[in-house]
Amino acid sequence: MQWQLCIRLIVISLIGCLTLPTQAATRTYTLYITAGSLTVNGNGGATLSAWGYTQVAGTPTFPGPTLTANEGDSVTITVINNHNINHNFKIQGVTTDTTAIAPGANRVYSFTASTAGTYLYYDTLNNNINREMGLYGMLWVGPADGSAKAWTNGPAYSFQRLWVVGDMDKPRWNDVAGSGGSVSTSVYKPNYFIFNGKGGFDAMNDTATTIDGGVGQTALVRIINGGQFSYSLHFHGNHIQVLTLNGVRQTSPYKQLDVINIPPLGTADVLYPLNQLGEYVMHVHTAQMETANGVYLNGTVTMIHMH
Amino acid sequence: MNTSSIIRSAVVSLLTLITMTVFSVANAATINLTKCVASMNKTMSDGASVNFWVFGSGGMSCSGGTLPAAAIEVGVGDTLNLTLSVMMAPMEPTPYNGHTIHLHGADVSTSEDGVPDTGASVMGDTYTWTPTAAMAGSYMYHCHVHTVKHLEMGMYGPIIIRPKDASGNFLNQITSNTATAFDYVQNYVFSTVDPAYHTATGDSTVFADYNPKYFLISGNEGKTTSAPAVTLAAAVNKKVALRLIGIHSVNSTFQIKDSSGAAKSFTVYVQDGRAWPTAQSMTSLDISPGQRFDVIFTTPSTSGTWYPQITYKKLRDNAAYATAYGKVTF
Repeated sequence: MQWQLCIRLIVISLIGCLTLPTQAATRTYTLYITAGSLTVNGNGGATLSAWGYTQVAGTPTFPGPTLTANEGDSVTITVINNHNINHNFKIQGVTTDTTAIAPGANRVYSFTASTAGTYLYYDTLNNNINREMGLYGMLWVGPADGSAKAWTNGPAYSFQRLWVVGDMDKPRWNDVAGSGGSVSTSVYKPNYFIFNGKGGFDAMNDTATTIDGGVGQTALVRIINGGQFSYSLHFHGNHIQVLTLNGVRQTSPYKQLDVINIPPLGTADVLYPLNQLGEYVMHVHTAQMETANGVYLNGTVTMIHMH
Repeated sequence: MNTSSIIRSAVVSLLTLITMTVFSVANAATINLTKCVASMNKTMSDGASVNFWVFGSGGMSCSGGTLPAAAIEVGVGDTLNLTLSVMMAPMEPTPYNGHTIHLHGADVSTSEDGVPDTGASVMGDTYTWTPTAAMAGSYMYHCHVHTVKHLEMGMYGPIIIRPKDASGNFLNQITSNTATAFDYVQNYVFSTVDPAYHTATGDSTVFADYNPKYFLISGNEGKTTSAPAVTLAAAVNKKVALRLIGIHSVNSTFQIKDSSGAAKSFTVYVQDGRAWPTAQSMTSLDISPGQRFDVIFTTPSTSGTWYPQITYKKLRDNAAYATAYGKVTF
């Protein structure tokens, strides 16, 4: 009996050895930079001039397309500037080339994804104007085997959500830069707080944004802040566990918080264990950032559904 | 495991369970409180009068309203039944009429959460919470109607979850960990005031731009060390616990400085009502809106004065707005 069990285990292990090793993949992305617009729906909403990325030449999306890789993958990103001013492309903590890409030109960025985690890519030029106009997005890197873990042998999750937050000052920045004017960058009074490219009224109903699952599941929430304001995010229903903060991997046991502050260009990976039934909110705890031009809950707000 | 050992362990488990049940029932208190909302005008340091809405006690006649509201202390294992009466309460027109209480950080069920957008009544309710030992620390209760205005109006107060001894008395410790023992304790509630938010109502564009003019600790400005917002008379060689509770709407940094401006060390034990896996000593702590920290510092062996203080900072670039000061003598 015991012999049989041993042999069976050895056979299973051997099969595992033969089939499990994963091949490092090659990931190829093309990002076009163009002018477009971002619409915040509902009361207080507006259509804002914006600049963004798209994977097929055409209308840009906000935030920029999500880039993904597993540890060990070779990633090549070609950025094509179809806009009328200089741009560049940097992945914070991953790439360092900040050379300007002239209108009509392109530039290629290649790297090996080395550390699982969540990263912010953005345009560093033009005194924050390029970023404010919408030029940022997320890269997330999973463990080499592609499993649903924050990193190799790290905390497991049932599903993940990608949260890209940011802000826009429509009258003083977007209206001016969008019509080719010169923005006075010393004044910044953002009146739109954009959550995955949406206002809060839409973000509360967007299934790619809401935490929605069964009790007993655990959500991994990857958060990046492309804006210029700090986002103090408050979770109802349960405390989160902080796995990484601003690129720094934390150690187990993880801090349990109900508020996490994401500074400009900050990143975080947090676990939200779905531990009780009900409907809850997740919102920024900072006065005007919950609004769209003063209209309550059309800012940085979404929902948590546990069933 | 043989039969007798199974029986023995079963008996031990049963006895433990009975002991725990009897024990916890004997010492678990039920705390019934009724809060109401009152209008209060406060004269600020520049002579301007600002209208606040504050939580007081009672139903029909609302008394004792303060900014911030009175702290509610709840023992581990106790049950808090916090009732809100909105009779006679000042309120906004629809759709932001009425009020609720949200037990900030308590992770209670939807029906106790006080959020109108998930079904809470805005015309009065009772909110129930039974915190466990792992939850010892600092929380808030605040209104969750049109929070962009109602928090600004002053509808907030501390909730402190305290460990208890075998007789059911509060321990002078932050948690059940004896390393968190203190001789003195004080709540520092951080808030900011933009007077324009106090007169605007509804979905006004005023709420798109926050320009705080007054910077408070526990409801007072404390603009200088000679006019501190709060004071505490402690003694030398003693442990002082501070409950740092952030209901402000900007960035901030907390420090403790001596009379010559040197930053003094303090130790963080608990954040957001959960013990840090490892307590950490520091001389500077950033506190963002909604966060709470429970910290302890030790007064020196010679008498003197230290100034716990908070510098409120802009959300964009952390440029300082102002510093508010507390004072601890020993």
